[in-house]
Amino acid sequence: MKLMDVSTFSFTLAFVLYCSSFGLYCVAVGGKRWSNRDAKLHEKKWTKIAFIAAVIGLVAQLTSFVTRWVETGHIPNSNLYEYITLFALFTMLAFFIIHFIYKKPLLGMFALPLTIIMIGYASVFDTGVQPLIPQLQSHWLKIHVSLAALGEAFFAVGFAAGLMYLLRTVDFTSKEKHLVRQQRIIEFVLVSIIIVCGFIISAFVFKGLGYSASFEHESARVDLSGQLISQTVVVEYTMPPIFEPYNATQLHMDKFMGLTKAPFETPEWFGGANAGRKLNTVIWSIITGLLVYGIIRLIIRKPLGRFINPFLDGIDEHDLDEISYRAIVIGFPIFTLGALIFAAIWAEKAWGRFWNWDPKETWALITWLFYSAYLHFRLSRGWQGKPSAWLAVIGFIIVLFTLVGVNLLVAGMHSYAGVQ
Amino acid sequence: MLLPENTKCECGHQNGVGTILCESCGKPLDPELAKSNEVLEMRYDGVARPSQKANPNFIDKIWNFFSSVKVAIYLIIITLVLVIPGAIIQQANTFLSVNFDPSTYYKETYGTLGHLLYLFGFHNTFESWWFKTLLVLIAASLVICSIDRVIPLYRALNKQQISKHLSFLKRQKVVYSGALPVSQEGFVEQFRQVLRKKKYRVHSNGQALLAEKYRFSRWGPYINHIGLIVILLTLVFRSFPSLHMDDYVKIVDGDTVPITNTNFYVKSEGFNIVYYENEELPENLQDEVRIKAFETDVVLYECISYCDDVTQKPELKPLMEHKILVNSPLSYKGFRLHQFDYDLTPRLNAVSPSIVDKVTGETYGPFYLSMFDPEQYYEVGPYSLTIIAKYLDFTIDSSGEPTTLSNNPNAPAFIFNIKGPGFAESGENYIYFPLEKDKVRFAQDSINRDLSDLIDIRVLDMEDVQFSKATTYLNVRYDPVVKYLLIGAFICMLGLTMGSYWNHRRIWLRIDEQTITIAAHTNKNWFAMRQELATCLKQVDIDVDQKDLDNGGNKT
Repeated sequence: MKLMDVSTFSFTLAFVLYCSSFGLYCVAVGGKRWSNRDAKLHEKKWTKIAFIAAVIGLVAQLTSFVTRWVETGHIPNSNLYEYITLFALFTMLAFFIIHFIYKKPLLGMFALPLTIIMIGYASVFDTGVQPLIPQLQSHWLKIHVSLAALGEAFFAVGFAAGLMYLLRTVDFTSKEKHLVRQQRIIEFVLVSIIIVCGFIISAFVFKGLGYSASFEHESARVDLSGQLISQTVVVEYTMPPIFEPYNATQLHMDKFMGLTKAPFETPEWFGGANAGRKLNTVIWSIITGLLVYGIIRLIIRKPLGRFINPFLDGIDEHDLDEISYRAIVIGFPIFTLGALIFAAIWAEKAWGRFWNWDPKETWALITWLFYSAYLHFRLSRGWQGKPSAWLAVIGFIIVLFTLVGVNLLVAGMHSYAGVQ
Repeated sequence: MLLPENTKCECGHQNGVGTILCESCGKPLDPELAKSNEVLEMRYDGVARPSQKANPNFIDKIWNFFSSVKVAIYLIIITLVLVIPGAIIQQANTFLSVNFDPSTYYKETYGTLGHLLYLFGFHNTFESWWFKTLLVLIAASLVICSIDRVIPLYRALNKQQISKHLSFLKRQKVVYSGALPVSQEGFVEQFRQVLRKKKYRVHSNGQALLAEKYRFSRWGPYINHIGLIVILLTLVFRSFPSLHMDDYVKIVDGDTVPITNTNFYVKSEGFNIVYYENEELPENLQDEVRIKAFETDVVLYECISYCDDVTQKPELKPLMEHKILVNSPLSYKGFRLHQFDYDLTPRLNAVSPSIVDKVTGETYGPFYLSMFDPEQYYEVGPYSLTIIAKYLDFTIDSSGEPTTLSNNPNAPAFIFNIKGPGFAESGENYIYFPLEKDKVRFAQDSINRDLSDLIDIRVLDMEDVQFSKATTYLNVRYDPVVKYLLIGAFICMLGLTMGSYWNHRRIWLRIDEQTITIAAHTNKNWFAMRQELATCLKQVDIDVDQKDLDNGGNKT
């Protein structure tokens, strides 16, 4: 067996173990109310099993990481797929560190789905091994990228604990105006997470079906020297086109549910490279996500937040608040060092200037400013508990935009880390 | 809150105006606060901050404004929000072209919103006066906030009393109260030993005890702020243009060019793109073109004489050789050359053509003809050639005269005065285009008319053509203040580490007759504080769950 196969196998194993671990956590929490058992004992037993599954999963993923490194000769964090799987790995690691301090196994119920979604999301992108481009051939690749991911992983755990805090403390039965608003925002966050799942599901379903469509359109862009370059671009769709690119001609389209033509055209103002395909993907993610959410709602017959809330009974919310804060405090210096200081040192060496105001850099700075505002907010008494949990949630959304959004939406010097 | 007029505590200590808890015994000074039973606000142990003056004057008011953490947060958030557009629309200074026109570019690329952002100056966010003003305000806030807090904190922590007022202990967030299990001295000593094992520094006076550890963690944020101030000051200082250098130099393979504003010359031995070999590529990418490296072999020279003398060739002394890669710039005493860009258009340097006598079919030559530095006179077999004119980028202008478009040999042309067999005695003018495409384009034979039946000047072998394969563009950098940024970053990280990974913990013990009261305070992570106290209590045979030590105060 070759090393690469070992890596792929252990990666799949890790994914399966994470999923089982999540399932076991659900059994631990959900099964408390089953009859003929001691609730405390039941929870203790099953969280232990779930935790062990997660630990073996982490070991498997570490094996996958190391073998891929040995096989390719460079640290596997040089493209979006590798980076997000590394981020998932570090999120598990951060979860274990926090768990070691607080012994709150239920945190795993929120950290694991986060990891699972990250891995699923990463797998949508090209998983193949790529040789390192000249810009990335440096020892700083190991240090800068990994440390930034580790810092962000702690923010992810802070987010998980913050979301748990909100699900635990918001009164989901109240009809009071401001509480209803809070319930809705939490539901919106949960739906957004499901929409990300929707993206993963639709990507894999259409990949499995082997769906394809292609369009051709004229593209004009201004290059760095200010010259207008016009060329014919062929856009390949892997999901059925609901929106075709602006001003395009259809070259080929597999029939989809009787459709042989895209029903809509991407509006012109929707700018950027491959705008049509991106919009189409977003629409599919939302459709699939809402479909999944609809099914869940049909089964549980109440909003998701109100459904989860009772299962968190008995967890001390002050501990959750502290866990969220602690995770962010641990992550902040690591993020500062990895994403800003080492980034600047590498930039000074590779690009000749320590700071370029490149979009990725600037978003890292925005993330840093946000979390420093968070830390200062904690200084004032009123900003502990709920407001602080909200900030932890918002902060992680900024982190995600920095990680993925910038690569997908904004061009810049980090765009080589983007998608094919 | 009205500040009490009389700031003298019952323990006899004279406190400053604005003090909340007596600096000596910790008793709440405000009568309102003294009556209540709520958990105490332990910020700076209740010591007054300098900004809490009774009658602030104008300067005090400015100080007070900047000393507020609220203002600091506003500044951070304003900066954060204003930076966002700059991180989305491409900044004007990233365009190198002179053709770039921001007044139309943003409208075309990003639509009306983009144009609006341009009008508000977001296309140049990081050079703008308002952004720089924000940085200055943040620096002021950093300095003043820190000074305003580090002073009372130092005062509070530097002269702590072992014995604190009972209400001070009772109103901490972590409190234990119970009956004295053994004798007074025995218990204090026992508890002391336990705490010492937990790395606490313990002070006791027989009936009361103060244990403290990791106080340095409290200085973390202030050290971090010092680092940030060093960084901001360096950035302000650096904006004087003379302190750093940012230039570009274009070198055609084989050329040696001076670097503006320096005494250096740099020669490119050649720019090269290296591709991955098949054995370095994974199976699915076999035979694909993947770039492994951009490299320029350069030699750095220093000019030692005739540097500013146009009539003389400068005398150069080689300093160092280096293969410049993207991640490996040439670096000489802080002066650096980075790989920036390249151009693979070849440039013609010289040809060595031969003269063919069309009448006899005989060939003479070849002779060496440089594009940039040709000889004025050549003798080739029976012919003699004198250069009358040279055009590197030949064209015919509007008045029908030949002229050159640039100094680059894109379409070189030479007009020779030729003497020899078949030519007039005084010589005749003959135009020669070294490049085959130009010969056809400008119709060399019809310009030369019947002379073209006499001779042909042509390159017989490809080896007789010399050209440079590529042009490399290097970024010239000299930025000596960067090391201060590094120092700032180091201080910053030192402070962050101290403040984040250690917690300042204090435990007080007080014995009133047969009752022991133990209180604990930490600057963060209360769970761990309670856990530690519970463990310590267990070792003196007091069994208590960490949750039961929680005296509240966590609630929002």
